[in-house]
Amino acid sequence: MTSTGDRAADITFRGVGVSYPGGVRGLQDIDLRIPAGEMVAVVGLSGAGKSTLVRTINGLVPITEGEIVVGDRHLPASRGRELRELRSEIGMVFQSFNLARRARVIDNVLMGRLHTAPTWRTLLGAWSRDDVELAMQALERVGIVDKAYVKAGNLSGGQQQRVAIARTLAQQPKIVLADEPVASLDPPTSHTVMRDLERINAELGITVVINLHFLDLARRYGRRLIGLRGGRIVFDGTGEEADEQVFADIYGRSLTGEDVLEARAQL
Amino acid sequence: MSAAAPPVRGKQGPDTDIRARPVLVRPARPRRPGARLVFLAVTAVVVLAFWSVDIDWSQLAGFPANLLRYLGLMFLPPDLSTLPSAFEATVLSVQMAWLGTVLGIVISLPLSFLATAGVGPAWVRWPLRGLFSLLRAVPEVVIAVLILSVTGLTAFTGALAIAVGSVGTLGKWGYEAMEGAERGPSEAVRAAGGSTAQMLRWGMWPSVQPEVLAFWLYRFEINVRASAILGLIGAGGIGKVLADNVQFRIWDAVGTLLIVVVVVTVVIDLVSGALRRKIITGAWR
Amino acid sequence: MRPVRPRTAWKGLLVLAVVAVITVWAGFGVQVDVGALIKNFSNAADKVVLLAQPDYGFFPETLSALAQTLQMAVIATAAGAAIGLPLSFLASRVTDPSRPLVAVVRSVLNVVRSVPDLLYAAILVTIVGTGALSGVIALVLFNVGIVVKLISEAIDAVDRGPLEAALATGATWVRADRAAVLPQILPVYASQTLYVLELNVRASTVIGLVGGGGLGILIDQVRTFYRYHQLSLIILEILVVVVLLEAASSWLRKRLVS
Ligand SMILES: Nc1ncnc2c1ncn2[C@@H]1O[C@H](COP(=O)(O)OP(=O)(O)OP(=O)(O)O)[C@@H](O)[C@H]1O
Ligand SMILES: [Mg+2]
Repeated sequence: MTSTGDRAADITFRGVGVSYPGGVRGLQDIDLRIPAGEMVAVVGLSGAGKSTLVRTINGLVPITEGEIVVGDRHLPASRGRELRELRSEIGMVFQSFNLARRARVIDNVLMGRLHTAPTWRTLLGAWSRDDVELAMQALERVGIVDKAYVKAGNLSGGQQQRVAIARTLAQQPKIVLADEPVASLDPPTSHTVMRDLERINAELGITVVINLHFLDLARRYGRRLIGLRGGRIVFDGTGEEADEQVFADIYGRSLTGEDVLEARAQL
Repeated sequence: MSAAAPPVRGKQGPDTDIRARPVLVRPARPRRPGARLVFLAVTAVVVLAFWSVDIDWSQLAGFPANLLRYLGLMFLPPDLSTLPSAFEATVLSVQMAWLGTVLGIVISLPLSFLATAGVGPAWVRWPLRGLFSLLRAVPEVVIAVLILSVTGLTAFTGALAIAVGSVGTLGKWGYEAMEGAERGPSEAVRAAGGSTAQMLRWGMWPSVQPEVLAFWLYRFEINVRASAILGLIGAGGIGKVLADNVQFRIWDAVGTLLIVVVVVTVVIDLVSGALRRKIITGAWR
Repeated sequence: MRPVRPRTAWKGLLVLAVVAVITVWAGFGVQVDVGALIKNFSNAADKVVLLAQPDYGFFPETLSALAQTLQMAVIATAAGAAIGLPLSFLASRVTDPSRPLVAVVRSVLNVVRSVPDLLYAAILVTIVGTGALSGVIALVLFNVGIVVKLISEAIDAVDRGPLEAALATGATWVRADRAAVLPQILPVYASQTLYVLELNVRASTVIGLVGGGGLGILIDQVRTFYRYHQLSLIILEILVVVVLLEAASSWLRKRLVS
């Protein structure tokens, strides 16, 4: 399964701002460069703009100022087709998994092939052998290929999130965005899922951008930490550089047990 | 790309280590003979129906062009001089539907009380429920044909047919609503020494009232359509005028009639729908 | 201090008064005449006696019309469900990104739905001729209206997460709708299709009254010749068919949604 294609997909934010309808400022003055192959964790309080930040990268949230360059594609995209081509190179993992629960696991993973398969195949659900093979490999990579023909809704939360990761892998993406992928999972399962993400970064060279609420997870899995507060970047550095003072900047207070997964697990 | 050692080490269960994960075998694609059988059976029934029915499907080829031609005859332009008479006929249909609905309510309300578990005795309840299912099973038009063949065709007998046709659904919805209502208030009235009638009025009715009123309105919407149909078989109103005009091929008048039917029905649906929402949710939306 | 009793009773009284006025007005409109009704009815007592005695010997002659009724119902259900499904996706804000298109599809179908099936049949009979075809087309029109209403409402209520995920993979709306929304509404769709079949069996028994084929044509014939024995047999048949089908359908529907 090859992933990094011909073009390196660096992500560059230039003066990006997002205003939601109603005037809420989601992001302001974001200048950021994420080189291809990096594993980045985005941290911040609820409402800091984490989701907004990652969702701008695949155009799920339209930016209102500045521009984003992904590889050689530009956002805001001028046409629907350009946006879809950009999105096809970016996988996304959601907090609530976003699986079609009544569909089988394999059908969910095959959603990652929707952008390339011929329309008649996607409409009839008559997937080509190659697409099914890709989907199976993706499931093998996250270790739940045995559930391929089970209804997605019948899996546990952690298994569902792994199916969602397999769905992004089936896209053969250059980038994977994950918006609080472990927020609905218990601590051991969280680690399994985080390790899957870590592994696709290390083995396939896919850029991974993860929103995380918990600092220990962010420091442990992110080579690079980006701290957001009020829609602005207040920290950008490695996990070691992120000391108590930095957390106070990001969170506007010192660290408590609420901000640490392991601590919460022991509560 | 070797990373710095993770600063935080969590406790890990045995299966959280990826490298220790067992190699899984791909499952075989499951065969589901049951589902396949149902699919084949349904397909077979549909194909058989298309193939065996006494219809010359080649007629369909000319249908679109034909339809356009007739739509042109009806609406380009409709004969608006017939508007007043079309409206008058529609009003008669609506009156028929209204009267039928009111009569249906008057008949069905006491019956549905009696059919409610815990109110009427079982020997009343079950025959009543049987009657409701029977009336629901027969299409209104058939009830109308029956009544009309006995007493003759008038708008009044049309309203009666609508009333009888409504009793089945209204009765069923009524007792289902009352059985679904919270038990507490009824028990409270009983506990205070209330009679069955008092329990119905003060225990049951307040909690089912919105639902039942909404059903009545909804039934009226259905009956507006039913009364137009009854006109076709001679009960008067818009259906009769339409049938006459179609018979004599006065297409531009048919166009006007259709416009009036659509407008009146849509307006009644809108008003009734808004009222129903107001009744159920307590707010104009 | 005791509160003043709120004066809300007038609202109820007003509603009652309005209802009473409309009812009286409707009564005058349809010329309620209970005397005439009773007189007609007592004159017609013998007819009721005839109706109570179905002519079972007539049964073989009804078979082909009965078969046609069922054929029409099946054909119309299949066609209506097939045409209605894609239209339902166009009629929901969840699956159709174009607001104007949603509005157009919805209002056209509202208009289509406001005309009763037998009115369509009465007109179509002159356009395509008497027989099953006009009945089928009328039923299909009626079905598409219902299917789109029921299914687009189901789509409106669907979990949007999978759709967002599918769109995020770069899929077009059509493909995303197919892959992420269709599986979610399939059980509802199957169940509502069965419901439409129930409606169609009822409707197709009477659509022949205006020339649309099926048992209705027979009803019309025996009615014009005052053959009450036979009329009651046909009605009995309708009853049996409708009850059997409803029992089967509601059993299946329960299994589908669980
Ligand atoms: N669709 C929207 N419309 C209007 N405002 C929005 C919308 N989505 C987010 N916002 C606002 O933008 C700001 C940033 O939201 P965002 O969802 O990016 O925060 P977050 O860091 O992901 O928070 P959380 O941890 O709760 O997910 C918040 O103030 C939020 O209220
Ligand atoms: Mg968020």
